[in-house]
Amino acid sequence: MAGTGKAHLSDDGDVLLRVEDLVVEFPVGRTGLVVNAVSGISLDVRTGETLGLVGESGCGKSTTGRAIMQLPRPTSGSVTFEGRQLTTMSTSDMREARTRMQMIFQDPISSLNPRRKVRDIVMEPLNIWKRGTAPERGDVVDRTLEEVGIDPMRAAESQPHQFSGGQCQRISIARSLVLDPSLIICDEPVSALDVSVQAQVLNLLEDLKARHGLTLMFIAHDLAVVKNISDRVAVMYLGKLCEVAPSDELYRIPAHPYTNVLLASIPVPDPSAQPAAVVEVIGEPPSPVLPPAGCRFHPRCSNAQDRCRQEEPQLRSIGPGHFVACHFPVHDGTEAVAVRAPVSSN
Amino acid sequence: MSSPSQRLTQASGRPESGALLEVEDLHTAFRTPRGRVRAVDGVTFSLDRGRALGIVGESGSGKTVLARTIMGLLVGRNVERTGSVRFEGMELLDRPASDMRDLWGREMAMIFQDPMTSLNPLMRIGKQITEPLRAHLGLSRGDAMATAESLLRDVRIPEAARRLRQYPHELSGGMRQRVMIAIAMACGPTLLFADEPTTALDVTVQSQILDLIGEQRRERNMSVILVTHDLGVVAGHTDDIAVMYGGRLVEKASTVELFANMKMPYTEALLASIPKLEEPSHSRLRTIPGRPPDLVNPPAGCRFAPRCLYVRDRCRTEEPPLLPAEVPGHDFACWYPVGSPEYHERKAELAAGGVAVPVEVGAGGIDAGVSA
Amino acid sequence: MAETLPSITGTTAAIAPVGVAEPTRRRRLPSLGVGFGVLWLATLVILTVFAGNLPFVRLPTQAVNGASNYALGPSSDFWFGSDRLGRDVFARCVYGARISLIIAVSSIVVGLLVGTALGMICGYFRGWIDRFISVFVDALLAFPAIIFAALLVGRAKALRQSEIEVLGFGFGWFNNTWAISAVFSLLAIAPITRIVRAQTLSLSQREYVLAARSLGARTPRVLLREILPNVVPALVSVMFTGVAILLAAEAGLAFLGYSVEPPKASWGLMVTENREFIEEAWWATLFPCVMLFLTVLSFNLIGDRVARRFDVREAAL
Repeated sequence: MAGTGKAHLSDDGDVLLRVEDLVVEFPVGRTGLVVNAVSGISLDVRTGETLGLVGESGCGKSTTGRAIMQLPRPTSGSVTFEGRQLTTMSTSDMREARTRMQMIFQDPISSLNPRRKVRDIVMEPLNIWKRGTAPERGDVVDRTLEEVGIDPMRAAESQPHQFSGGQCQRISIARSLVLDPSLIICDEPVSALDVSVQAQVLNLLEDLKARHGLTLMFIAHDLAVVKNISDRVAVMYLGKLCEVAPSDELYRIPAHPYTNVLLASIPVPDPSAQPAAVVEVIGEPPSPVLPPAGCRFHPRCSNAQDRCRQEEPQLRSIGPGHFVACHFPVHDGTEAVAVRAPVSSN
Repeated sequence: MSSPSQRLTQASGRPESGALLEVEDLHTAFRTPRGRVRAVDGVTFSLDRGRALGIVGESGSGKTVLARTIMGLLVGRNVERTGSVRFEGMELLDRPASDMRDLWGREMAMIFQDPMTSLNPLMRIGKQITEPLRAHLGLSRGDAMATAESLLRDVRIPEAARRLRQYPHELSGGMRQRVMIAIAMACGPTLLFADEPTTALDVTVQSQILDLIGEQRRERNMSVILVTHDLGVVAGHTDDIAVMYGGRLVEKASTVELFANMKMPYTEALLASIPKLEEPSHSRLRTIPGRPPDLVNPPAGCRFAPRCLYVRDRCRTEEPPLLPAEVPGHDFACWYPVGSPEYHERKAELAAGGVAVPVEVGAGGIDAGVSA
Repeated sequence: MAETLPSITGTTAAIAPVGVAEPTRRRRLPSLGVGFGVLWLATLVILTVFAGNLPFVRLPTQAVNGASNYALGPSSDFWFGSDRLGRDVFARCVYGARISLIIAVSSIVVGLLVGTALGMICGYFRGWIDRFISVFVDALLAFPAIIFAALLVGRAKALRQSEIEVLGFGFGWFNNTWAISAVFSLLAIAPITRIVRAQTLSLSQREYVLAARSLGARTPRVLLREILPNVVPALVSVMFTGVAILLAAEAGLAFLGYSVEPPKASWGLMVTENREFIEEAWWATLFPCVMLFLTVLSFNLIGDRVARRFDVREAAL
């Protein structure tokens, strides 16, 4: 799982966000050790597309999202957004640039200040940037609230705890929309919600994306959700990229063993489906403080070989838009159909 | 004559099959300043030994309250409980908390959603596992530690001996949930409640934990009640499914029958709202409009009527009873179930009106391409 | 899209039932206590503020006509009797309340202002500034309070009479009331800083703080708009219990000989002055004690209630 390569980056001019060699490290207390949260990943997001970023907790996907927002600034690497280099930008320029990119967080309740009225929360970005007159701001806020399905009258007199989790997530979405950004980074926006509410929020994001011409980066651990909303999916493991592919292709012919594991773990709502035991992943991810040498996935990979323990694989193309970082991919892009090619656990 | 609790906990001579738990017309209500919240409103079901039952519903459907009422965890002056809960033939509902305490751990155990908050952060793992062993089974410290180590091995925790000396924060979320399962298994319960055991976990760990629970169930001939909001989770891991809505049971069937032949539009809508891997990207997801009913003033008639796509006048006035379907063991509460002429008629109308309606979910309807 | 939106005009969500409602009987008890507390404090405030205009409150510093040396016990005319100089104990209790309350409340207010500012700076910025302030605060906590009192109150007179000037201002105004308030303010800063720091540490990790920053809010705005409102509830209850503690502390300090200058009255000073004669004239000691007890109790009852009220709201989140 190397993914230090950049073969997957496109040369087109319509790239909205380009991340190169992003590294984020956090010190572990005063031990001198560091958590290698993100270890040199490169990504690009084209204007108008939805890029899914998927992986287990602790793989660095949320950290990547926040590092793109420069909250906090990454340890190294470059982030280019709308043609401007964010990593070297001054704090005040960065403040300005952040209005063009917004973030939605996982916990719908913790992402809203419990002591403020919902309408004020949604108005806050306009107040910070002093956009328009007070009545104009009110209009924008009411319109946006209606758009996400929240009654502005109720929002004016209620605090977040008077709304359900799904409604709080709608309010967060409204807040991220009022400044009219071009990019929204959604950090696990639906994983705290019931399935029925999750579907509402996903549909809402799709509608808003179409209506406002948004570009989305969608971070989640559930590949089924990511696949539903994304055009392209990037799979992350322990701070590195494993595989990047158009979402339908990723499901149809997953090449990386880890992608196969992720796909097989998704509970299938059908009792007659074959138990997914054929793809067994060994244990849980190792500590990002001392990541394994070679391919980072090799200790859990059922077909790891000597080469995997020593040499870190680079991202390479195995099909149009399909890139994988694995020495021995399950699939090399030539087979026509390989539905969930099983990795033998023996 | 031995006391009831003694009789209950005599481990030897347990029958291998038959009903372990029988719940009849159970009501649980909370007196609140807003009025009585009828969280569980007339639920009847039974669970056989060694079987796994999934209780499925959205938040606020009463599924967690149902599980906790059965366990006797909800007591207090503001809680009203009526009906009957029989466990191994013993009535539990009128039992004082001190008697229930004898049952917890030995006969019934529970694992919760958040493995971090359900473990004591200041106590080593070993101590937390051995405590019930020593309290309930009267084991010596050494025996208890040995049992604890083998329990940790049972739940597939590597380096079990070392883990016993660790604190909860030194373990990952999945490991902590394994420890919770080990604690629940410690005294060999006959009934395990798992309340959203995997919601806080990653998908890869989720399937491991569910498999582990299933494995323990088969090995110990234990019954399991799995409470979740995700039909996908219960599909592969339970024998029977009970769907709850607004404090009531609205559909109940064996898992295979339910997925092949679901009757309640609510069950169908729940299933349709799960994103399916085999559908192309950007497929429109079916949603359930509106929100769960207010349990203080539930709507008249069918409680799902205000959110149901197939609603008719009768649904709004007359509450459908839980009646058996053609297949024995399949009960549902709906006037115009999936597959009825009225259902098809309304579906055709909706399709003509341009409203997105899911492909009918039935045998082979949703699983094409998955089981290949 | 329209059909997938939830009905927003519908009833509010069914609240999580477990533990929301308390049985009616248990609810009544604390509200009785709070009712008493509010009533008592209101009476006290009215008495102290309008003491000079109320016909039944005599002057605290003059002997009542014809009375001396504890001559009068409690009666319909002299409710609390007279003290060793023949002064009306009730009047002194009222004027004593004025000084005791001013000392306690002003100290807490200063403690809150400084402590909140320091605590928020520590908790939000962390790093070296946190370590620097924390060392100062810990030292303050470890330093024996009595030494401060001895230094400030004991030396207040000398300071007052000295020629020392700061920025051209002398210290003529620096009486013992000021000195005690200064000691108490200093004492209040440390625990409040710690409470606010801990709260801010956890609040600044909340996603709404991150959201505000990602919206481009500057640090002062984040601190004032997002963090401060969430620290305030904890501080309200700290304020009530803090006043209660300082009222009792004032009495303790008076007992050790550090109090306002006679013939001024504070509750603590009254108890200290009259305690030697408690057997002949119990009223001169007992009534200030009762006043102190009821006031401390009222502040505590209200403080508890406030804390619980905000707890419930946090839990409901």
